[in-house]
Amino acid sequence: MNPFELKKIMIQSLDPGTDTEEIAAKLDNEGISYDFRDGFTERVTGRLSSEPLAVNRDMEFRRNLNLIFYRIAITGIAAIVILMLSIFIAQDSFSFDSFLGLGDSVDESIVYLLTGN
Amino acid sequence: MRGSYKLAGDDELVKASLDGDKLAFGEIVNRYRKMVARTVKGMLGDSVYSEDIGQEVFINLYNSLPGFRGEAKLSTYIQRIAVNLTLNEIKRRKRFFSMFTHKGNEEMSEVEIADSGTEEKVEAKEIVNKALSSLDPKFRIVVTMRLLQGYSTKETAEILNLPLGTVLSRLSRAQEQLKEKLKML
Repeated sequence: MNPFELKKIMIQSLDPGTDTEEIAAKLDNEGISYDFRDGFTERVTGRLSSEPLAVNRDMEFRRNLNLIFYRIAITGIAAIVILMLSIFIAQDSFSFDSFLGLGDSVDESIVYLLTGN
Repeated sequence: MRGSYKLAGDDELVKASLDGDKLAFGEIVNRYRKMVARTVKGMLGDSVYSEDIGQEVFINLYNSLPGFRGEAKLSTYIQRIAVNLTLNEIKRRKRFFSMFTHKGNEEMSEVEIADSGTEEKVEAKEIVNKALSSLDPKFRIVVTMRLLQGYSTKETAEILNLPLGTVLSRLSRAQEQLKEKLKML
């Protein structure tokens, strides 16, 4: 098929009333056909066989991630409790200043440090 | 029946595949691989990435078979998956290329002519591939359905899940665009 004829057919195929089945068959006969590489079917079925394994791996990863999250969360909560206890023991209160580490004596020492008096 | 599905109907193949028979599913792949190749390669070009999308089409089909109620033909169902995955790939490539360039139609950069054959045949295929790749995706898909798959306007509308009027309008606009592009080839 020469390029001129091919272009004509291509444009013609978009006319609503055209018998496109015939055009597609004609192009196929002319070597304008498409296919995947040899062994395509085997590659697809091979992937299907390995797919459950991938799903299992994915589930295992999520389970591990959850476990790690809980471990980090529990450790974090324990650290916060210890910190609060140590603050309470040191400052005898749970006030905002004690959380910031600002006791009554601290104010004076800052003034002393800044002014030298 | 197990082991030989050459003469089996689509319904039988689907049923056997649902029972976990890989040979039956292999027959479905064999039966429809060319149809999928026409859509995927017609839309994305004859590149190695098209093969990956082709595989994805059948993997998706396998995973969605339990939901296939047989209301549409199996070929239509596969074709819809192929169209959706191909259009998604085009969008993905467009997004990727838009990060580096300001041009929007670069997703078809890779057009290979892998088939061997006479020079005339290779030239003809090159014309088809280049013409298709130069079209907007929404026009490219209707041209692929008509020219390469040989679907009627009604079938095209059914596969693309578009109203018939929209398909007719796209065909007309695609024809205009194709005429312009073919002048340059």
